[in-house]
Amino acid sequence: MRTRILFGLSILVALPACAQPDSMARQLDEVARVATVMVDGDVCQRIVTPRAMKYMLKVDPRDRWLGSDNFDVNHEAYIQTKKTLLRLARLASFPCDVNLWMPLQTDPPKIQIVIRNTNEMSQFWPWGTLYQDMIPQMKTVLETGRRMTVQDKPGWISVLAPVYNSLGDVVGVVEAVSRLERDARENVK
Amino acid sequence: MRAWWLLVWLASQAAGAGLEALPEFFRPDPFGEVVRADRGGGLGAFRNGVALQAARGGYVSFHLLAKVPESGPYTLSLSFPEAVKAELFREWFHFTERDKSYYPDALIPVSLPYRSRLPEPDNRIEKQTAQAFWVDLWIGREAKPGTYKGQASLETAEGRASLPIELKVLPALIPEEDVVTMDHNSYGSSWIADFFGRQRKDFFESDEFFNLIHAYHRIFYEHRGVFHQLGYGHGGKVGPEFAPALEGSGRNRRISSWRLYDRHYGPLLDGSAFAGTRRGARPIPFVYLPINPEWPASFLWWGEPGYEAEFVNVVSEMERHFREKGWTKTRFEMFFNHKKRYKAFPWDGDETRFPEDLRYYVEYARLLKKAVPEETPVRFVFRADASWMMERQFKELAGVVNFWVCGGSEFGWYQYAPRMLKQRGDIIWFYGGTPVVSEVSSAITTNPLKAWIWGVDGYVHWLTVSPGRDPWFHFEGGGTALVYPGERFGIRAPIPSLRLKLQRNCVQDIALLDSFQGKRSLESLKAEAARRYNGSKPQEWWMPRPALADLPPWEWTNSSIDEAARPGRRLFTGLDAAAWQRVRDFALQLAGEER
Repeated sequence: MRTRILFGLSILVALPACAQPDSMARQLDEVARVATVMVDGDVCQRIVTPRAMKYMLKVDPRDRWLGSDNFDVNHEAYIQTKKTLLRLARLASFPCDVNLWMPLQTDPPKIQIVIRNTNEMSQFWPWGTLYQDMIPQMKTVLETGRRMTVQDKPGWISVLAPVYNSLGDVVGVVEAVSRLERDARENVK
Repeated sequence: MRAWWLLVWLASQAAGAGLEALPEFFRPDPFGEVVRADRGGGLGAFRNGVALQAARGGYVSFHLLAKVPESGPYTLSLSFPEAVKAELFREWFHFTERDKSYYPDALIPVSLPYRSRLPEPDNRIEKQTAQAFWVDLWIGREAKPGTYKGQASLETAEGRASLPIELKVLPALIPEEDVVTMDHNSYGSSWIADFFGRQRKDFFESDEFFNLIHAYHRIFYEHRGVFHQLGYGHGGKVGPEFAPALEGSGRNRRISSWRLYDRHYGPLLDGSAFAGTRRGARPIPFVYLPINPEWPASFLWWGEPGYEAEFVNVVSEMERHFREKGWTKTRFEMFFNHKKRYKAFPWDGDETRFPEDLRYYVEYARLLKKAVPEETPVRFVFRADASWMMERQFKELAGVVNFWVCGGSEFGWYQYAPRMLKQRGDIIWFYGGTPVVSEVSSAITTNPLKAWIWGVDGYVHWLTVSPGRDPWFHFEGGGTALVYPGERFGIRAPIPSLRLKLQRNCVQDIALLDSFQGKRSLESLKAEAARRYNGSKPQEWWMPRPALADLPPWEWTNSSIDEAARPGRRLFTGLDAAAWQRVRDFALQLAGEER
């Protein structure tokens, strides 16, 4: 029994140093799968305030920062969800982030990252963007509820998974993400 | 009778070629004229040959202009008696796309005599007929008062021209300490690799990397400034050299290694990074701590005992380490830069706008107090960068925040604030941008003067190390740069800008002016400086409180702030290049009365 435990632990400990794409993808997939169960879509829907949503989509040629200066969140919903995402990231044996994305009710469809995390990794977020065009793979997840692995950027692996609310609607997407080679200074700015 | 007055034709000029000198605020272009932005208004200094005057313990500067109309090789020499240390910089002419003009700004150190040709090969300016040089003369504190004579000379194929330079050194001493701190901000360190070593895999562990960081501190220090490098991102990720390494979790959270932190900060905090500089080896006065909502405590435990345990364990260890090292001269800043728009935390640490965010400040102040022994000699401060709701923060965070860095526009509405904040012992800076090269040269002196007139402690240029994608041939103006990477010129270190030199000279003048408080009241010194600068009164440097200030900040818009700040800007439209020279003349007049 003890030998088996030690053997299992040694694999977990060894992984960060020799993480391979397949093993990383498997672990991220597991993290994303659990995220679908653990992340509460109803709470997620309460994170961004209605006022912030209103300003986010307003265009004022005299005030280019209108959307970002008015961005605000409900603290309780935010903190509850962020803590869940932080816990989920600890399931992996290597540094990873679990980010929350939510669609905007716009035509054409847009999406925003709502919660980022400790390692500041995402395969889809152009640094500083408040919201952006719908990402095709996320659109698929939102429409089908199926998990999806994305390796569009070399060395990056993201697993996208649906977030459900109590009505059974897919209301958001989690991105469980990591990189084969971490950049210790990326986004330190 | 425009700026042409300012050109001093030398006593001797070879046919066609010649040497000219210009006062520092009159920037030359590559064709021998003064740049358009500096032409209007006042009178320069060199009406009767190059006659300079200076107090001791500082610099005096001017431009030398080598004119070689027929193009071809030239040699420039400069000589001064031993007591005066002359330094020569070639002025790079940047082409700005916006107005299709050339402006000198990057200063390339050159050794004497300087040999080159026109057009200057690397600057690649068609039909260039003049090369400008910035001359710094350092007058040490020990220099004997009196008149020193120097000479510049130019040799070309056509002959030789020379220019006598007279420097009168006054007995007065420029104080070593500044009354206004000019701070130069930056973010992270990856830009250093972009400039100097991205291709090297081990760059971030190399001595060269740490030496470069120190070189950036040194260049600002030598220009009477301070350098800040924020070491974490909006999501709380900390660059490895900005924080000690941590291990464990909850009550077992602790520091596992100081290796990179001490390599980075040790020489800055004990002052040894500044050995050999003219200002001497002194510890940096301010430094950001890596503390953020995700460091040293994980946000996973926010609001739980584990958050406090992780925070207090690690910050206590930091205090102990700093104390044991004797790093007690520097103010260690707990500062939150994150904004919720960057989607990693639920509150704004920087430019807080919403009242419910203030409770986080209160909690962090409590944690810091718990972590740091009351009698510690280590100087921890709680810094907040405030704009929208600074007035409310001043009240609600009294005794919580004690270092305020305030948005310059809004701060100008609250004339009562400096006295109120200083009475409780707080430090006050304000922040904003950096004048671009196409603005009048004296614009760089407005914020240091404003800080002094307002009675606050400093000014922060929010970003000063980012000259843009191609500063050399397609320049964006330098609104985020006061230094440049020297790599292009074979210098693996930053090189200064002309604007940084102008700012340095202005800051030393302010220190000198302020030192005459025994002779005149501070208010009368300020009044005369403001009058000479732009014909204003100190009171006019404050704006009347706008109606906007009485609305909740979440109802403000950037355009309404802009509108409310307009009266303040009006005061500086039409500022002329000689504005600061007039203030300096006042300082030197008072210095001349010293025995």
